[in-house]
Amino acid sequence: MRETRTIDVGEGAAIPSKSDWGLFNAWAISFVGALAAIIYLVCFEPTPYKRLLFYLADGVVITFQVTFMSIISACCIGLVVGMGRVSKNKAINLVASTYVEIIRGIPLLVQLFYIYYALGRFLNVHDLAAAVIAMSVCYGAYMGEVFRAGITAIDKGQTEAARSLGFNGKQTMFLVILPQAWRTILPPVGNEFIALLKDTSLVSILAVSDLLRRGREFSSETFLYFETYTLVALVYLVITLLLSKGVSIMEARLSHYVRH
Amino acid sequence: MKRMFKSLLLIAACGVLALGLAGCGEKKEEKKAEAPAAAAGPKTIVFASDATYPPMQYVNDQKEIVGFEVDVIKAAAEKAGFKAEFKNVAWDGIFAGLAAGKYDAISSSVSITEERKATMDFSDPIIPIEQMLVVATGEKATDLAGLKGKSIGAQIGTTSYLVVKDVKGFKAIKTYDEVGLAMEDLVKGSIQGVVADSPVAVEYTSKKYADKIKIAATLKSDKVENVGIAVKKGNKEVIDLVNKGLAAIKADGTFDKIKADHKMQ
Repeated sequence: MRETRTIDVGEGAAIPSKSDWGLFNAWAISFVGALAAIIYLVCFEPTPYKRLLFYLADGVVITFQVTFMSIISACCIGLVVGMGRVSKNKAINLVASTYVEIIRGIPLLVQLFYIYYALGRFLNVHDLAAAVIAMSVCYGAYMGEVFRAGITAIDKGQTEAARSLGFNGKQTMFLVILPQAWRTILPPVGNEFIALLKDTSLVSILAVSDLLRRGREFSSETFLYFETYTLVALVYLVITLLLSKGVSIMEARLSHYVRH
Repeated sequence: MKRMFKSLLLIAACGVLALGLAGCGEKKEEKKAEAPAAAAGPKTIVFASDATYPPMQYVNDQKEIVGFEVDVIKAAAEKAGFKAEFKNVAWDGIFAGLAAGKYDAISSSVSITEERKATMDFSDPIIPIEQMLVVATGEKATDLAGLKGKSIGAQIGTTSYLVVKDVKGFKAIKTYDEVGLAMEDLVKGSIQGVVADSPVAVEYTSKKYADKIKIAATLKSDKVENVGIAVKKGNKEVIDLVNKGLAAIKADGTFDKIKADHKMQ
């Protein structure tokens, strides 16, 4: 019996719908608004804001670095964990499942403290490295679940067909299942990217000079709390919106499933 | 239909936001109006204190806020006839809380500086402090210049940070939420120096990590740095009470006794 599968991937929290190309949608309004607000503040009230923007600049770079390094390694960890979770080998399955259970049960903030300060007693990791490790270990577990869901969503018939055509297990996974699963995986993975970007603000607790830490340094020195956090929030918003747009464009190109 | 619903939702959100902001504005004005009336006879003064700063203020085993400055304030309160209540507040944002009126005063080893005087008022000086450079026991450097090319740390928003902030040549200047975390990083070797207030530097190098870190130098400054109690600008009632109490305990020797109890220099 044949059935057409339409997988409802839902409308992710922050990812704009790919069909929403009109001028007046939530994404465009927020993006233009945030950008206009930043430009207005910097041009017309340069006294704190211009200095502030320059002060935050290297923090933005660090935030980007942490985000992209974490995204890449979290994807790798997620892929391995996801395949481990669907593996028929009991031992591999158990290891992957235990990893996911443990990591998902510990708050990211605690993991950051643990890797930097607790494990720091035994091996001295650089603050940026500790941040990236903690973020990717944590998000690796989340993404593992996304990958697992994406892989199991592929019809069993695909595996059967591949196997009966003489593909071995590895070939089936990498040449048949994963290329199809990727389309289902991408939207929720994009959501994880955006959540990860926002969660990088937590690494400021390790004294990593990211965007939030720079803002806190500036405000604790000048006492301009309102001005500082307004600009920090706007900068985060612009970055997040850019990333979410990127994900939605990618999704529009790759996805063939129906979105509601 | 869905589109329309969406735009309606957006308009509603904007409306709520606008109302909320307007509400905030009103509240502020109200507070301004009633503040002098409420502060007319303050029996209880709430002091915000970042209790991560041994020996000045820290949390003991019984989860009580204790320390040298806490004892000083409690003694002063007894003399001046007010009740001192301590609230543990994180250092980063402690000044914002004062400005927002969440507590009456800050007793958290706040150094009296010209910059801070512009936004808040201070009591009479309680005790003078200095800035000290703490390094690992094996380190040969005896001043900030000796640590060029290395990483250095200080607590965020403190006068210690201001000392290192404009010094060029460090690999990195890291700011920590708590001075203890900076010391921890120093012991670990992630940074090579920490600048901290003298009481804290002495405490950490003589007790907690006595065998791992040492004081390399006292950073000379042409200005005397004093610790005082900070209040919201114009809050004369609280300042007068605190000053009255401080003067009384300094006059009758209670202050010196507390100082001796805590082995402060």
